[in-house]
Order: sequence, then structure tokens, then C-alpha cells
Amino acid sequence: MDKELEHSFVELLEKHQNIIHKVCRLYTNNYDAHNDLFQEITIQLWKAYPKFRGDSKFSTWMYRVGLNTAITLYRKSKRTINTQDFDGIEFKMKAEDYDDTEEQQLKTLYKAVHELNDIEKALVFLYLEDKDYREISETMGISEVNARVKMNRIKTKLKTILNP
Amino acid sequence: MDELELLKKDWGKQDSSYKKLSTNDIYPMLQKKSSSIVKTLFYISIGELVFWILINTIPYFLSDSYRERMDAIYYNDYIFAGLTILSYGVILLFIYLLFKSHKAISVTDNAKKLMESILKTRRVIKYYVIYNLVIAFISMVIGMYFAIMHDPNLADTISHFNKKQMLITYVIVIGVTAVFVFVIWLFYKLLYGLLLKRLNRNYKELKKLEI
Repeated sequence: MDKELEHSFVELLEKHQNIIHKVCRLYTNNYDAHNDLFQEITIQLWKAYPKFRGDSKFSTWMYRVGLNTAITLYRKSKRTINTQDFDGIEFKMKAEDYDDTEEQQLKTLYKAVHELNDIEKALVFLYLEDKDYREISETMGISEVNARVKMNRIKTKLKTILNP
Repeated sequence: MDELELLKKDWGKQDSSYKKLSTNDIYPMLQKKSSSIVKTLFYISIGELVFWILINTIPYFLSDSYRERMDAIYYNDYIFAGLTILSYGVILLFIYLLFKSHKAISVTDNAKKLMESILKTRRVIKYYVIYNLVIAFISMVIGMYFAIMHDPNLADTISHFNKKQMLITYVIVIGVTAVFVFVIWLFYKLLYGLLLKRLNRNYKELKKLEI
């Protein structure tokens, strides 16, 4: 039975692993830290999996556990030595989309998002993942109105960073 | 175009840039141990319980004369025996509260509730530490008082003290004990402060959204 549970979990995780990668992308600066956080989120998901009832989608459940791990449970590992910075490595644009100004804007935007605090990052992450305000408020434990207000503030903040 | 919309457009394209892990990569990850703050908090709380229980019981088992004296007190002094039973009752109560609050921590709760559950556990540990420090302070002061009174030489010296010298002695005894307890308290503040720094900051940020 345990093997079956493990198997179904690993299959689901493999399928939805990008959610964890994206959380790690937002909350870490280098590969070691990325892998470390990925590992911790995986353990937390696995520990919580026996209680996963399936009344919500696995992916929705992953967002919650992933963000909770990143903003609350995760203790930065000592071995997160800065080896390679993400900037310039992973945010590649496809050739056909290449636009100097847009690329520059995106680079600045990603940098600006990295400078937001943990809670702001979580809101931006859910927004980028196309979650509605109801889901954002349920994941964070704040009201929908407050989620909207905060998102508007973040948008203004980003606008200021981009157009000083 | 809205900045976030621009980001959103690009965000969707990033999927292929992540290193894709296979199921074979994932299986070993499940065997690894968590290093979350909840786990650390759990170990610290167990450590606290064991430490204070040992502090209270070790002298009893290590020193024959202490044990004899204690046994004599237990048999003759019901108030003291009652207090000891009460102190073990308090420890049992803390074990129950800690267990309950640890069980209540769920990673599938919303972010705010999860933070509150962890902070509640931290509060239980804090009260346990305060309780022990207060008890330690009282026992040390009383212990020092009895030690002085039962030492014939010291008792004789003190009996010749005037009021001012007596007051200074009391102040020194209480002051030294207070400093000792305060240093332990600072150590705890530092320990929990470092461990829960990020959580506290994020919880404040979430609370700020409600104002």
C-alpha cells in the first residue's frame, strides 16, 4: 500500500514539478539554494500526501504547500554558496520574441520581483500563475479585498522601479 | 502594457527552462530528512523538557546526602512534597500542550494559519522556559539563603551584620541570581529570535495587510 502511495505521489510530482521549480526560482538566487528548497518542498509534500483527499486539485494543493515551505518552514541551508546566479542563465528569450527594450524591461522586472519581500513574492507568484483573488486570499489567509489592494500596491511599486 | 502582464507573458514561457527531474530522481528525495523550522522547533522543545527535568532530578540521583535530605523533607513536609508533585504536574501539562500544538501545525493550512500555529508552539515553549526560570530564580535565592544560614561560620558572620550590611547581602544574592537567569533568558531570546526571524517578519507583513 505504501509503495502504491509512493508511486502515485512520485508520478504526480514529476508531472507537476514545474510548480516547485517556479517557487524555488522566486525564493532563491542560485542553483544550490534552488535544489535545497526543491528538496524541502518535496519532503513537505510527501509528508502531507497521505492526508491529501483529492477534493482539491493536486496542483492547487502543491501551490499551498510549496509557498508555505518557502515563506515559513524553509531554513536556509548553510551550503547555499553562490555558485551561479540565475540572471542571464535561465531567463532566455526565444529568438522570434527578441526585443531589446522588452528584454531589458523583463530583466529589470525579474530583478525587481526578486527584491520584493516574501509575502509580496507569494502574491506575485500566484498572480503570474493566473490564480484568481479568491484562490490567492485562501492560500495566504487574507481577505480578497486585501489581496487586491496589496496587488495594486505591488504593481505600482514595480512601475516605479521600471520607470523611475 | 501593465508590467505584471508583461511578466506573466514571459513567465509562461519559462516552463521548458527548468531541469526536468525524472521519477528516479524524485524517489531518493523522499528518503531525505526535513530541515524545516518546525522540525528544529520540535527538537528544541524536546531538549527544553529533558534539560529542565534533568536539572531538577540529577542532584537527587547523584548525591546521597541530597537524596536523604530530600526524602526526609518529603516525608515530613507535605507542602514541599505537594509542590514537587505540582511541578511534575506542570511538566506533564507542558508536554501535553506541546504535543497538541505541534500536532496542530499543518503545512496544508493557509499561510497565515500555519504561521499562527508555529507561533503558538513557540509561545508554549516560551511559557515553559519562563516558568522554569522563575522556579530556578526562587530556588536559587532560597537555596543560597539556606546555605548561608546552615553554614555556622557564615551564619555567625551574618548575625553580626548591621541593617545596611544585611541589605547589601540580600541585594547581592538576588542580583547575582537575577543576572544568571537573565543571561539564560537572553540566550533563549537569541535562539528563537534567529530561528523564527523570517517567520516573524512575514507574519507581521501579513498582519499589516489587515490594517
